[in-house]
Amino acid sequence: MKPRFGRALLRLFAVQGSYNYERMLGLGVGVAEEALLRGLPADGSASPYRAAVARGAHFFNAHPYLAGLAVGAAARAEHDGAPAELVERLRAALCGPLGSIGDRLVWAGWLPLLSGLALAAISLGAGWTAAVAFLVVYNVGHVALRAWALREGWKHGVRVASALNNPILQRGAVLAGPAMACAVGVALPLAAQFLAASFGAWGRAVIAAAAGVGFLGLYFLPGRLTGLRLALGFAALALVAGWIWQ
Amino acid sequence: MSLEVLIALLGWGTLVGVDLVSLPQMMIARPLVAGTVAGAILGDLDAGLKLGVIFELLQYDILPVGAVRYPEYGPATVAAVATAHGAAGALGLGLGAVVGLVTGLLGGVTMHLLRRINSRIVGAASAALESGDPRVLVRLHVGGLLRDFLRAGVVTALGLAVAWFVPPHVTGVLTPRGATVVAGAAVAAALAAGTAGTLRLVGRGPNLAWFAAGLGGGVVVAAWLR
Repeated sequence: MKPRFGRALLRLFAVQGSYNYERMLGLGVGVAEEALLRGLPADGSASPYRAAVARGAHFFNAHPYLAGLAVGAAARAEHDGAPAELVERLRAALCGPLGSIGDRLVWAGWLPLLSGLALAAISLGAGWTAAVAFLVVYNVGHVALRAWALREGWKHGVRVASALNNPILQRGAVLAGPAMACAVGVALPLAAQFLAASFGAWGRAVIAAAAGVGFLGLYFLPGRLTGLRLALGFAALALVAGWIWQ
Repeated sequence: MSLEVLIALLGWGTLVGVDLVSLPQMMIARPLVAGTVAGAILGDLDAGLKLGVIFELLQYDILPVGAVRYPEYGPATVAAVATAHGAAGALGLGLGAVVGLVTGLLGGVTMHLLRRINSRIVGAASAALESGDPRVLVRLHVGGLLRDFLRAGVVTALGLAVAWFVPPHVTGVLTPRGATVVAGAAVAAALAAGTAGTLRLVGRGPNLAWFAAGLGGGVVVAAWLR
């Protein structure tokens, strides 16, 4: 089983390779799961293996790092001879929780936490080593999470919901929020000082005022005004102002 | 910029573009990393770090959940650093940010287009997928991956083309004062986006106090270091 497990884990790193609005991560999940389905009877076009492969590629959407939990659980359920409807229901039931926990733990926790620390370190003069440290530390957590998810899914099968109650996962999701908030909070003024260091006192005051106006716009007009639109708008105004103010 | 450096930047930008969604999501697509490595390739770490910080702050405005559409700041940062390297001082920072923003916008549009193309291809192959033939499944999946490689390469190439073309034409139009205004606008927008994005992430619950504590600590350290 170990080579198949390793192959499935490797394939999970490309789980979003064919991301689309029709099946979302479905194809990537199917490809990863296929490696674990190889022990099933595969003779004929209506074999259990082919039916499981077809099911594996159906619609699926969750956090990509935790998709392995569904891959392992569904593959184990197929090996245990679970009815097709149960496997489909299991996959559908996992989408929401895996998305929610993954978003909280990674996109809104681990990633901005380490990004904030790296921003602060660069602003304090750590240079390229901060970017390298960010990459190494982030990926220790990233790879461990992907491997854990696949292993737990395979271990628990249709009872995989119990894996979501893992204390490390729960505690991590709870701690990630405050840690992220604090780290990015520290990083913002340091990054402001780092970026504005080459401007004069007047320049810094104008930047602070413009940043304040921009912040209010972004905070109170979410959806209508995005960071990209604001930055492009500011840049266009600045290009005109810079061209006129020779 | 020599041909070797250009090829290295194109290769790096393509890897960065693919990393964002497709493979392996190890976060080389984060502007901090993309910019630092682009700066190292160009021998201009300072520009890489500064533009990396600007685009990292802009990235805070994005939470990549579900099928949400967002700009792609990885290859954009590579193009931005290449631009900054080609134009000195404040002009480099401001112009680099502008080129990066346009490249980021383009990258976001191409990602959406790619997903629509993938949807059409997967929809057309629905019957074959339902047969459970693993070769069909792998072929479709690898096809999606290759299309993303191509997309990321094209976005990076366009960004680098703008980086190569724009600085000589703008140097004569913008004075150093004008260049400083553009650089200041980029910094202000990045700080606004970084703060607003973080606050949206933090919400109004107990994490807000942690954010305030961190912000206070950051202000004290910044003031102490001045």
